[in-house]
Amino acid sequence: MTTPASPSPAAALEVTEEDSAASAKPGNPKGTESRSPGRLAWTRFKRDRTGVISAFVVIFFFVVGIGAPLIAKIYGKDPYTTYGQNDPSLLNDFGFPVAPNGGMSGDFWFGIDPQLGRDVFTFLLYAIRNSLMIATATTVLVAFFGVVIGITAGYLGGKTDYVVGRIIDILLAFPQTLFFIGFFPVMLTILVAPDEATPTWLIVVSLITVMTAFGWAPIARLLRGEVLALREREFVEAAKVTGASPARIIFKELLPNLWTPILIQATLALPLYVTVEAGLAFLGVGLSDPTPDWGVMVQNASKYYQDDITYMLFPGVTMVIFVIAFNLLGDSVRDALDPKAGR
Amino acid sequence: MSLSRRNFVIATSVAAGGSMVLSACSSGGGGNSGNGSHAGTTKYTGHVTVGTKEDSTGPAPEIPGARKGGNIIGIGPDDFSHLDPQRIYFAWNSTVANLYVRALTGYKIAMDGSMKLVGDLATDTGTMADGGKTWTFTLKDGLKWEDGSELTVEDVRHGIERGFASFTTEGAQYVQSALVGSSDFRSKYKGPFSNKHLDSIVTDKAKKTITLKLKVARPDLNFTLAMHSYGAVPVSHDTKDKYDKDPVSAGPYKIAQHSVDKSLKLVRNPHWDPATDAIRNAYPDSFTFQFGTESLPATDRLIAESGDDQYSVMAYSGVPAERLQKVLGDPQLKQRTINGLLSGLYYYAINCKRITDPKVRQALNHAWPLEQIRRIYGGQAAGDYATSIISPDILGYAHQDVYGKLQKPQGDPEKAKALLKEAGKLGQKIVYTYPKGSNDAYTKTAVVITNALKAAGFDPVVKPVDSTSYYDQVQQINNSFDVMWFGWSPDWPTGYTVMQPLFDGATIANGSNNVSQLNVSWVNDAIKKNAVIADPAKAGAAWEDLDKKIMTELAPIIPETFQRRFYLHGSKVGGALFDPLFSAFVMYKLYVKA
Repeated sequence: MTTPASPSPAAALEVTEEDSAASAKPGNPKGTESRSPGRLAWTRFKRDRTGVISAFVVIFFFVVGIGAPLIAKIYGKDPYTTYGQNDPSLLNDFGFPVAPNGGMSGDFWFGIDPQLGRDVFTFLLYAIRNSLMIATATTVLVAFFGVVIGITAGYLGGKTDYVVGRIIDILLAFPQTLFFIGFFPVMLTILVAPDEATPTWLIVVSLITVMTAFGWAPIARLLRGEVLALREREFVEAAKVTGASPARIIFKELLPNLWTPILIQATLALPLYVTVEAGLAFLGVGLSDPTPDWGVMVQNASKYYQDDITYMLFPGVTMVIFVIAFNLLGDSVRDALDPKAGR
Repeated sequence: MSLSRRNFVIATSVAAGGSMVLSACSSGGGGNSGNGSHAGTTKYTGHVTVGTKEDSTGPAPEIPGARKGGNIIGIGPDDFSHLDPQRIYFAWNSTVANLYVRALTGYKIAMDGSMKLVGDLATDTGTMADGGKTWTFTLKDGLKWEDGSELTVEDVRHGIERGFASFTTEGAQYVQSALVGSSDFRSKYKGPFSNKHLDSIVTDKAKKTITLKLKVARPDLNFTLAMHSYGAVPVSHDTKDKYDKDPVSAGPYKIAQHSVDKSLKLVRNPHWDPATDAIRNAYPDSFTFQFGTESLPATDRLIAESGDDQYSVMAYSGVPAERLQKVLGDPQLKQRTINGLLSGLYYYAINCKRITDPKVRQALNHAWPLEQIRRIYGGQAAGDYATSIISPDILGYAHQDVYGKLQKPQGDPEKAKALLKEAGKLGQKIVYTYPKGSNDAYTKTAVVITNALKAAGFDPVVKPVDSTSYYDQVQQINNSFDVMWFGWSPDWPTGYTVMQPLFDGATIANGSNNVSQLNVSWVNDAIKKNAVIADPAKAGAAWEDLDKKIMTELAPIIPETFQRRFYLHGSKVGGALFDPLFSAFVMYKLYVKA
């Protein structure tokens, strides 16, 4: 897992300033009407064609993922039945699809996978569903813990800041992929009885837990820095002088100024976790074969690409499209929220 | 199939005859690409015949068109785990041991694949007396070690006695237990290092004879002695447990350089006299083994064939299922393959200690989806369905199919369900295990097995075990698995080497190969009785009967396949021949083409 790219250090710190600057623009016909920063960002985002298209692609993926069981039901197949094994006319004697293009046909829109003969279309739908679910959950948790820990460390300062800072340093220096590979099987052996199958939910929960455990550090570090800069500003001083509680200062004074970096980090983190999760599955940790997953599909396909490139194409292309779209979306969101960092 | 090199727990496999691979070897004439058919050998040329004194006299017949010189590269996934002959039992170690270890007897393989048991160090395959209790061998003249010193009967005796030493537990144990009459032979004799010799081996240096006086009759001892575990070791150069690092050669090549897990280089042994060796040709000047390339990348390397890879062979790992279609579908590539059927059996051992009801075990046999499994391995090309314990290569084999698997290779869930109901065990939990990591195919077979078991009314639980510790774990007597992937290859082609290790209740212990933990008195008695039948034909029939009875009444295993393997070699390699003994190339027949 690599560290998510940090947003430009020039990220906007004060929405208030920006707001006044924007409303003072001479080109604005209704200068007197005040507009919220969110609304301004939305206007800017709508003007960004790339961003809008990416947003639609991303939404499409989420809809497909959430609606996977429904789509599979209408389509009439499931990702677990080995159709090719049950019907000898689908796979040849070497276990490869008989029909050209990986066995694509009216019955199997994306073909069937070699050897087991499962339906690639539904397998891919469920793979998207599982991958997105894990990545979204991880991103939400990472953002939550990053925000809480980062703001706490930054606002309290002193010893707390020192301890948290060192923990973050260690986590960032940790060889995470190696740790996953080494630690994951051990953890599962401890948690699961020797004659019980490893439940998929346990693998999912552990994946999310482990990725969160390592993932919060970059966000926390970033926010700590932002808070350090903010807490010496006049409006915070003013709040303190008027006797505001630390909670009020954090939630009402600091947090509104931090939404921009948080949002940007989160949009960049989600595609990262999709690839991390797929990468782990590819390496044999995390989800494994009978469970549909992007990484599992790519891993399988990598063995057959010489004879059945179609099978590699679908998971590969969909994943690339999703990750690119989400990254472009992340860029657009940043541009919209932070016009000063313009290109 | 690419079932990895540790396919067989114990794999000094003998039996299987060569292969109908002439068209695939150097002689050329490649066939047209099969349209879905496997184009491999269909014949088990199995039985080894016992050769005469003439057959045992060197030199080995020349291979037409072969020339001397050059270097052959063997590509393999793993370094050889042992080089000390007494510690060699796994097939892939024997692939290289063939080049420098010589035992009293050995297998002479003709270019058509037919095999004969001949004398290697001995002038013939020995003289049996007392119904198999006494065996006498005479050494050939002119046998030398790589330093030029003479190879004597003492060295041969030393090789056998070293099998008793505390550091040679990895090797075969047949001769040791026959010599002292107990499977706990190490408590009776500690090996030759205290200058004490066994009374039961008599040597005569002047007449060059060695006589083994066994406590129990072993009418097939001449086969047993061909195992590398009984290869000769020089008394004067024995470095005990360090001998594993640098063994002394009696064969055509000696070890020049060994970087562990990276490469092994063998060069000519100038003191080897071809006139003493009826088995080995030695055309290349050297052999280089390169380790660390799994079978899939190795196949791709040989398909691409760039540079020195033209001189290389897939030493002991076969073409994996993922590339079978590509390799067999391309006439150019197919010309560069050899293939053969293994005499070993792949099967699933049912833990009789946990699944005590034979009806449930029979139901498992009915439910098992052989066809789906084989398709994942690569279809017909990957081998034949096994329906018995004894393979077609073994003396006395007769076709039998107790569970009608050939009619319904895809499994018979109704019949299985009916049997389960009868036993009152519907919904029986079955913990299935396979080695994870060594071969991706098993992850996929687990999927079809799970589906088939569910259809038959079982409750399957899949628990893969990491391949590095797989055998250690399933060979624990108190393991928690019900059905275990396993394989067994006979040490020589008689029923004894299958039935005794796999089903003799006396052998049950941690690390035993009786993974089914079958301990039934009538089976144990039959094994004892059949082992001493001197007439090979009668013995064969007796083993076959026992096979059928065990499968019908006890069903301790689910036979899966007798597998066919394909191997690729570079276009500059000639003399390519499948070694049915060790499922690899016959290294000593290869030559570099001009």
